[in-house]
Amino acid sequence: MKKIILQFLTILILFYACWFALYQVDWMKFFKIEQITKKTEEKLGDLYWDIIQKTENENNSDSIVYKVDIVLNHICQANNIDRKKIKLHILKKDDINAFALPNNHLIIYSGLIEECENEAEMSGVLCHEIAHMEKQHVMKKLGKEVGLAVLVSMTTGSGNGEVAKRTLKLLSSNAYDRNLESEADLTAADYLIKANIDPEPFANFLFRLAKNEKNLPKQVFWISTHPDSEERSLKIIEYIKNKEILKDSLLSGKQWNSLKEQIKQTE
Amino acid sequence: MITTQEFSYIPGEHEAEKASNSYLMSLLAFIAGLPFPIINLIATIIFYLGNRKDTFFVRWHCTQALLSQFTVLMMNSVGFWWTISIIFSDEVITRKYISYIITILIFNIVEFIATIYTAIKTRKGIHIEWWFYGDLTTLICKPR
Repeated sequence: MKKIILQFLTILILFYACWFALYQVDWMKFFKIEQITKKTEEKLGDLYWDIIQKTENENNSDSIVYKVDIVLNHICQANNIDRKKIKLHILKKDDINAFALPNNHLIIYSGLIEECENEAEMSGVLCHEIAHMEKQHVMKKLGKEVGLAVLVSMTTGSGNGEVAKRTLKLLSSNAYDRNLESEADLTAADYLIKANIDPEPFANFLFRLAKNEKNLPKQVFWISTHPDSEERSLKIIEYIKNKEILKDSLLSGKQWNSLKEQIKQTE
Repeated sequence: MITTQEFSYIPGEHEAEKASNSYLMSLLAFIAGLPFPIINLIATIIFYLGNRKDTFFVRWHCTQALLSQFTVLMMNSVGFWWTISIIFSDEVITRKYISYIITILIFNIVEFIATIYTAIKTRKGIHIEWWFYGDLTTLICKPR
């Protein structure tokens, strides 16, 4: 019996040793998996952005982009995120929405900026979308709901534009699954704390939109697809409860008011 | 890993054929049900149950064929569900996953070759004992 147990253990050790030895090889590099994924992501990002550019109006006002950029730069710097890789686009649209596209395109609607009561709320939304990018949620969602084969065919030209439009809708007006949203919320809270921005207004923003959704004249895409927004808001409050939070002001009150004013005028 | 041993008696032609078939059964089921690791185990169990009242030589080899399936089944099941979770959930392809798949591929190939070899030898009436599985089979399977 002892011999059999020893033999079994040997097989087990042999299995794990083989696995461990093979693990030393960088298979991701060998099969060029990361390279293929990255290329697909780049092409998809450009493809989606092309569609948006054709159908929506981008707000290129220097003073608006400059003010949002101050906040974005600060968040990236505080969290060691390469700001250059993020392509910020502010769209002239009344709906309350923001979303991330493949290849780090960050889309924010003017309607959402208008709805924010202070820069911390807007920072929270930006951090939430950056978290989706940094945690690879965008490609995970597309891969899961559309399938990698369809995504690759879209980038190689054999896929049709209709598929691209439909999958873009998935990203712009459908929520990620509960776990990914929760992960993005808590990561956003971490980003905010590191950037000396209070995450509480972000939680309040979620709560407020969820409560007032029916009374708002605009379409609240950023919330309407998240039935558990109130719960998410409470989760953020719970998460930051005992954390030391420094509160810096990135935009002066005057700058914030002028940003909202300019957004209103250009809409 | 595989040794030729003296059996307690010389098996007849009919016994050798049946014993050899138990290995062939697992091989055929292995090929047929490749993506579903449970298929070859079910096939071997059915064959084992069908021959459990047969002669000692046949029973012994059916048992060895069955036991050898269990280890591969465990490994393949993990690989199967891991792959499913990559396709349908948030899991992604990692270095750990690829090295695991290659590992089970190596173990499956070794098992496949060993099974073919044993099936050929057993067909000739030669008693083949696998390392670990042979001892385990002797422990479980006793002559009546």
